[in-house]
Amino acid sequence: MTKKIKIATFLFISLCVLSISVYYVIFDEEHINVIATEPELHLSSRSLVASFSKNEQNANDNYKNKVVEVTGSIKEISYLNNRSTLILEGNTRSSSIICDIQPNHKMKLKKLKEGDTITIKGVCKGYLKDVILLNCVLTNQNTNE
Amino acid sequence: MNKILIQLFFLLNFVPSDSISEQVITRQGQVSFFSYTSVENIEAKNNQVLSIIDLSKQEIAISMLMNAFVFKKSLMHEHFNESYIESDLYPKATFKGNFIDFDPNIEGSQTKFVKGTLTIRNISKEIEIKTNIEKIDGKFIITGDFELTVKDFEIKIPPILRPNIAKVISVTFRFEYQPYEE
Repeated sequence: MTKKIKIATFLFISLCVLSISVYYVIFDEEHINVIATEPELHLSSRSLVASFSKNEQNANDNYKNKVVEVTGSIKEISYLNNRSTLILEGNTRSSSIICDIQPNHKMKLKKLKEGDTITIKGVCKGYLKDVILLNCVLTNQNTNE
Repeated sequence: MNKILIQLFFLLNFVPSDSISEQVITRQGQVSFFSYTSVENIEAKNNQVLSIIDLSKQEIAISMLMNAFVFKKSLMHEHFNESYIESDLYPKATFKGNFIDFDPNIEGSQTKFVKGTLTIRNISKEIEIKTNIEKIDGKFIITGDFELTVKDFEIKIPPILRPNIAKVISVTFRFEYQPYEE
């Protein structure tokens, strides 16, 4: 009898542990897998910045937390704070797009230089003085070849 | 005579250019926060924090997107944005303040206080933060850390998750500024 209870308790606890771990595995995947996701929107870096500077609320409704594909000219490549960041030109000198590149796409940056036109896919997070894209991957490289 | 002329030339050229760049900016400031409990440690980083300092007025302004904090686990990211911070309703956190007795002309390192208003979830708190200011070749780097009480910002944590989240969150920051050209 006690043995049965012991086995039952053991089974119950293992079931609990199992279900918790399954829950974590399922819900703990990358929230948006950028590489596999088809971008919902494709536009130029200038027009993305323009729509945010014109009407931030509207632009947030259209782009925030969505995978967007942006084509634009590289203003700066930065490795500040151990991050790999591409800054794409916006429609004015003071506003740009800050693209935080996924670590596994870091190597691709080495072939790029300022002034190159590239296409990037990432999750749009919103706007401060610049538009911010996270989890970015390079989708094609129109280097000057 | 010639030497004096050359020195004069340099003085005239460099002194004014130093005082022209009165504002400095960073678009890639780093803010991290940590929550340590016996159950789990939670850490998040935001690498796209905007900050501008007006050196002549000794004013500093900081703004960040709450949904741009990156967590190790996406479940934490989800809870943070949807339940605690409600980043759809309150997308930004800001800080506006003044340095106390800060001399932007001193090269090297100095420790100063910044007094100002921190706003998270539309709730404003007056805080005073000790910062380390470093000036190397005319470039400013500001670092520091401070603590925030979760309760102060009316963040509701469900009882079942209360042991997982510290009551006091430690925050660290690092801002590397560049001259600001509008």
